[in-house]
Amino acid sequence: MHDFTVVVGVKQVPDADEVGLDPDTGRLDRASAPAVMNPPDRCALEAALSLKDAHAARVIAVTMGPPMATPVLREAVAMGCDDGVLITDRAFAGSDTWPTSLTLARVAEHLDADVVLCGEETTDSSTGQVPPGIAAHNGWAQLTYVEALDLRPEEGRVVAHRDVEGGYEVVAADLPVVVAVAFGSFEPRPAGLHRKLFAETEFDPRELSAADLGIEEEVGLAVSPTSVGGMETVQPVDRQGEVVDEVDDLLGPIREAVA
Amino acid sequence: MTEIDPDEYEGVWVFVEEHAGEVMPVSWELLAEGRKLTETTGQELVALVIGEDCEAVAEAALAHGADRVLVADDPVFEPYRADPYGAQFRAMVEERKPSIVLIGGTHTGRDFAGRVAVPTHAGLTADVTEIDVDEAGILQARRPAFGGDVLATILCEDHRPQMATIRPGVFEAAEPDPDRTGEVERVEVVVAEDETMSEVLERVVGDRADITEAERIVAVGAGVEGDLEPARALAAALDADLAATRAAVDEGWIDGSRQVGQTGKTVRPELYVAVGVSGAIQHVEGMNKSGVVLAINTDPNAPIFEHADYGIVGDHAEVCHELADRLSGETPELIA
Repeated sequence: MHDFTVVVGVKQVPDADEVGLDPDTGRLDRASAPAVMNPPDRCALEAALSLKDAHAARVIAVTMGPPMATPVLREAVAMGCDDGVLITDRAFAGSDTWPTSLTLARVAEHLDADVVLCGEETTDSSTGQVPPGIAAHNGWAQLTYVEALDLRPEEGRVVAHRDVEGGYEVVAADLPVVVAVAFGSFEPRPAGLHRKLFAETEFDPRELSAADLGIEEEVGLAVSPTSVGGMETVQPVDRQGEVVDEVDDLLGPIREAVA
Repeated sequence: MTEIDPDEYEGVWVFVEEHAGEVMPVSWELLAEGRKLTETTGQELVALVIGEDCEAVAEAALAHGADRVLVADDPVFEPYRADPYGAQFRAMVEERKPSIVLIGGTHTGRDFAGRVAVPTHAGLTADVTEIDVDEAGILQARRPAFGGDVLATILCEDHRPQMATIRPGVFEAAEPDPDRTGEVERVEVVVAEDETMSEVLERVVGDRADITEAERIVAVGAGVEGDLEPARALAAALDADLAATRAAVDEGWIDGSRQVGQTGKTVRPELYVAVGVSGAIQHVEGMNKSGVVLAINTDPNAPIFEHADYGIVGDHAEVCHELADRLSGETPELIA
């Protein structure tokens, strides 16, 4: 019997370290980069699993994407999640953060979540807007940039340390709550061998479509407030790029710069 | 579906982020930049102040360029919490219909923006580094994408308000003019404490450095492996501020308020010394407006050398100490 349900949002992104330049066009070639789990989401998974360690919680990883995004769910299950849900539908194509957070908000309700955990932001879009968006769609409490998290069942709330400019704050929030963890906090645990085998061989994600969530008309490009108006390649700033041999050779440039 | 008439929305709002009366400098940067937008559109520049006992902040907002200040003043708004701020903002947007809302890209600003954009079905662009508005009043919000190699222009044509979070340091604040006049309007507070879903138990803020104004910066990266003493010594000799890459901040070596780059701050000092910084584009993008860039790194192939005017391959501790020794005798004349 589980007392709490923790839903963790994870996303498949191009490996930022492997995004190369297309030799013909000189443009970034994201298609050729291998797909990996968004690194900040691993911290969110760890935060969820530590709640499971301390309480009778069920942890469900969810991802939005095509079926080829399933490996991030397998990875989550291998780390210790109890289940994984693939939210997949052509209707989602072209969604910006508004319909994306709406979808995840409906999934959180559908799964009866008490706590929704997310990474701080994704490495491919880096907006950080989806966790507050989920909370706003559901009218739930939100905590972002969380470095430590404690579930207080008797109080019906969580208590978190949030990173703020120049310090931190300790905030309590009522359940259900959406928590975005600070990237770098919550060192992700390695997958156990047994669990890994299960994830690779036996686990199949549950699938949910826009219709299952009753939001066919509320997702996709048409309801996305933002659109991309153009892209320009940033011209690198011209620097001298002179490598000197002796520390003394740096003194002249320093004196000149601060003169 | 939210169908609105964009023509009913006008004016530029700037969210003035304050904590117990102390205003985050990015708020004044946004008022200065918002002024330029209103000069194009001929509309009103409005500062939005939410907090407790904010008279002084409201006056400062006028001095920094606002035509009008909307003040929601109540104990429920101090310290900041997303849910009461969000409910108050929503009510104000629905009543007054601003066309553009600018918010500083601090942790608080991003927390706030993400929440308030949803109920109004606003378009929200994150981490913007350039803004413009066309004659039709459409905001062109440009942000680095794909790690900073590309600048993407994000538009929000059919929804209002058009919202953006803007990275601290990219714009310059105007000198406050205490003689500027404008209207300070107290608005109805629509949130009560017993409706809130969160409670701030403790707030500890110490080092909130503003590196965006620094003339000289010594920045550390993962390459210093937690040993900040040599960089500190060099910073002291140069009378420079210490800054860091995201990697160094994530390691906990230094506070996030000193982070340069995407999700951190933009700086433009006359001298930028990168110590053990690899030169990831996300970092470079926050410092490439610097005057002279120096790089110290053990790896001769580190990308930072391409983004530096002068570089030296070597151990950061040795190079920093040697430079500090050479410079420490002459620092006073450097400052003079």
